Amino acid sequence: MEFILESALNLLGFVVGLVLGIFAYIGFKNTGSPTLFRLNISFFSISIGFGVVGFGFLIESLVLGYVKLDTWIQTLGLGIQTIGYFFIAFSHGIKSFFPKSRYFKSIAIPLFIIPGNSIEHIIRSISFILLVYGTIETIMSYMENRKRSAIFVAAGLGLLALGEFLGWYSIVFPKSVLYFISVSTKIVGLGALFVPISQVPLRGGVKFGNSV
Amino acid sequence: MAIAYRTHMSIIGDILSTARDEVPDESGASVTYLIRKANVSYARLSKILETLVSQGLLEQTSSDRACKYRISNRGREFLQAYRGFREFADSFGLRI
Repeated sequence: MEFILESALNLLGFVVGLVLGIFAYIGFKNTGSPTLFRLNISFFSISIGFGVVGFGFLIESLVLGYVKLDTWIQTLGLGIQTIGYFFIAFSHGIKSFFPKSRYFKSIAIPLFIIPGNSIEHIIRSISFILLVYGTIETIMSYMENRKRSAIFVAAGLGLLALGEFLGWYSIVFPKSVLYFISVSTKIVGLGALFVPISQVPLRGGVKFGNSV
Repeated sequence: MAIAYRTHMSIIGDILSTARDEVPDESGASVTYLIRKANVSYARLSKILETLVSQGLLEQTSSDRACKYRISNRGREFLQAYRGFREFADSFGLRI
């Protein structure tokens, strides 16, 4: 039963990410904008990441009949999602990934070193940092242009970051409810990213073939 | 106050907006008018106009003295879609 719930939540994330990715892809095809191309890669990566975990768990539990699920599936899915988070952060123009200041190094580097023994810990740490960066940049952009939809995007990215943090914490308490809260928080976060799409007054069938 | 950097796409958006909303007469906007309103150089505008006409977003009309440009129906649809995607990117704090 646990497997099915985990799979269902991840598959929901897969669908939400896919819809966002398709929207960004349509935008890229119509305008040729590199920003929309990066968002397209980002959302498709997030969607595929959720899909790998969701379908992986389903296949292992229902088709292969495994009692204990392979952790590499989770790690692979999270790794693919991290690529998506990187592209969201990259779109804001990361100047340098590692901070130059010795003081900041002392704060940031432990986030990579402390987990050490697990790839999943490292991936979650990177995702968390990228999402926090994206959240801050979006809040900054809201301060400049006061667009209400930017608040929803910032909240969405913030919830994704919180989800990653809770997921990271759930490794410490593996049998707790934290993992479900983590995935649910991430899906609510992805849902908040839907708000800008709902405000776009697009009529169907707008196709221009080649980008301008 | 810092001057905002305009992307290639936003310049195209400005040109199409000018051709749609601010044309001085029915025959369309002249190159000089577009240069002034869209705030781009002649060299850059010429290349963009060539692309927009070849893509069917602008229609070229000839008058006695010079070429004029008018937005096509396809151009209007493109402009509407562009504005939608610009809103989407703006929400992420990004520019298309």
